[in-house]
Amino acid sequence: MGRHVICRADELQPGAVRIIEAEKRSIGIFNIRGDFYALRNTCPHKGAPLCRGIITGLAVSDEPLQLRITRDGEIVRCPWHGWEFDILSGRSVYNPHRMRVKTYDVAVEPMAEEDPSVETYPVQVEEDYIVLYI
Amino acid sequence: MEVTRAPDSRKRVREKLFIVDTDVHHGFESWSDLYPYLPQVYAERLREHGGSGPSSQYWHNGGMRGRRADFLNADDLLESTRRQLLDDCEIDIAVLTGSSAYGACGIPDADFGSAICRAFNDYTLEHWVARDERFRVAMAINTQDPLGMAKEIDRIGSHPAVIAIIMPGGATKPYGNRVYDPIYEACERNRLAVMIHFNGEGVGINGPPTAAGWPSHYVEGRMMRAPVYMAHMASFIFEGAFEKFPGLRVVNVEAGFAWMPWYVWRMDSDWKSLRYQAPWVKRPPSEYVKEHVRVNTQPIDEPENERDLEQIIEWMHGDQTLLFGSDFPHFDFDDPRKTLTRLPDRLRRRIFGESALETFPKLQPPG
Ligand code: FES
Repeated sequence: MGRHVICRADELQPGAVRIIEAEKRSIGIFNIRGDFYALRNTCPHKGAPLCRGIITGLAVSDEPLQLRITRDGEIVRCPWHGWEFDILSGRSVYNPHRMRVKTYDVAVEPMAEEDPSVETYPVQVEEDYIVLYI
Repeated sequence: MEVTRAPDSRKRVREKLFIVDTDVHHGFESWSDLYPYLPQVYAERLREHGGSGPSSQYWHNGGMRGRRADFLNADDLLESTRRQLLDDCEIDIAVLTGSSAYGACGIPDADFGSAICRAFNDYTLEHWVARDERFRVAMAINTQDPLGMAKEIDRIGSHPAVIAIIMPGGATKPYGNRVYDPIYEACERNRLAVMIHFNGEGVGINGPPTAAGWPSHYVEGRMMRAPVYMAHMASFIFEGAFEKFPGLRVVNVEAGFAWMPWYVWRMDSDWKSLRYQAPWVKRPPSEYVKEHVRVNTQPIDEPENERDLEQIIEWMHGDQTLLFGSDFPHFDFDDPRKTLTRLPDRLRRRIFGESALETFPKLQPPG
């Protein structure tokens, strides 16, 4: 299991995704309202770069011809054929029990960083970093 | 030494198949047959202007005026149906699917169209159903008058021989649309299935027969039947009709069936991609089809190799979804004695009778 420091937490804003390479895999890191999630950037259908799809909510219906959106920002829709995946769990919307994409653990960890602007006396500042575990 | 012989299976007599024929065309010989069942105003209109208003097709048909040429000169439509179809082909139950009233749905005057349907229904009960207990009826419906037809369904839908309604393929809106809800509510109340029969496309107020316009010849027109049913089927599913009406059963009559597997696969694929636009469709379309949609065998599909039919039937779950129909007395009639004879007996029993009993809520086996 590898540990990969991705970037400072404030470099990935809520609603945004960052696609990185780690251990020969393409992985998308999502910020959903301040929480971070990671999905394999490969659609299980035909291999499209899933994490480059539209980030949206879950369309649900309480009765025929009525629709509303829930879980805004928690669904990614594949850029190729539109299959939807739950970013939190990696499960497909149409068949959550049999179709899923791999998820990875993401943590936000404080790390000491040398401030290069201070030349004379090296100091360390504590910053939050996004860390991916594969 | 005594030798016990196994019974010779080659000599086994095939047990008589229980047959429900889901497409038997009945009708009247002249519009004047309907006068006694029509309000005077409409009887006079028909007498003065003939059937030109309610005409249902604009092409030449096949055979002799659409009928088998060996049937055309039958003096009595009813007697010939009983003798040549029910007796000769050993049909146990024949669902009368009409013909003459389909065009009523395209008449611009909806009240006139509804009056014709009501009259034809009364005529059918009196002149056909009352004269042979093997007949069941798919009652005529004027699709442009859903409220009026809901009343009509409540009026005669409880008659024991009425087991379905029948609507033509041609329409102003595909049949899953909410405008038809009163019809389906009435069908659920009266435990009737919904049959769709090719006809009326491009006629009167209905939409053109294809999105590519009007074909010139009857043979071209025949090729567009399946697409018409596809349009209705997608509408039933994606408008949520089967969610609204869990008891709804739709039987597509006389467009063959080999197109079904491809079409159902296509709907499932597209649902995976576009589910979010119609999230009231809770399950893959194929599951709604298996539960709610049936097609009949007529006109039988004929692949290069007849044995391939069994594969197609398996793909479409034909042990549940496929119902026999003969289309008597039309020129492209399928004789049950010559239809799907290569299939295993188990499957033949399903297609020729058992599945129909499960499809039409009111249908009971005779005796
Ligand atoms: S590749 Fe993702 S939906 Fe087809």
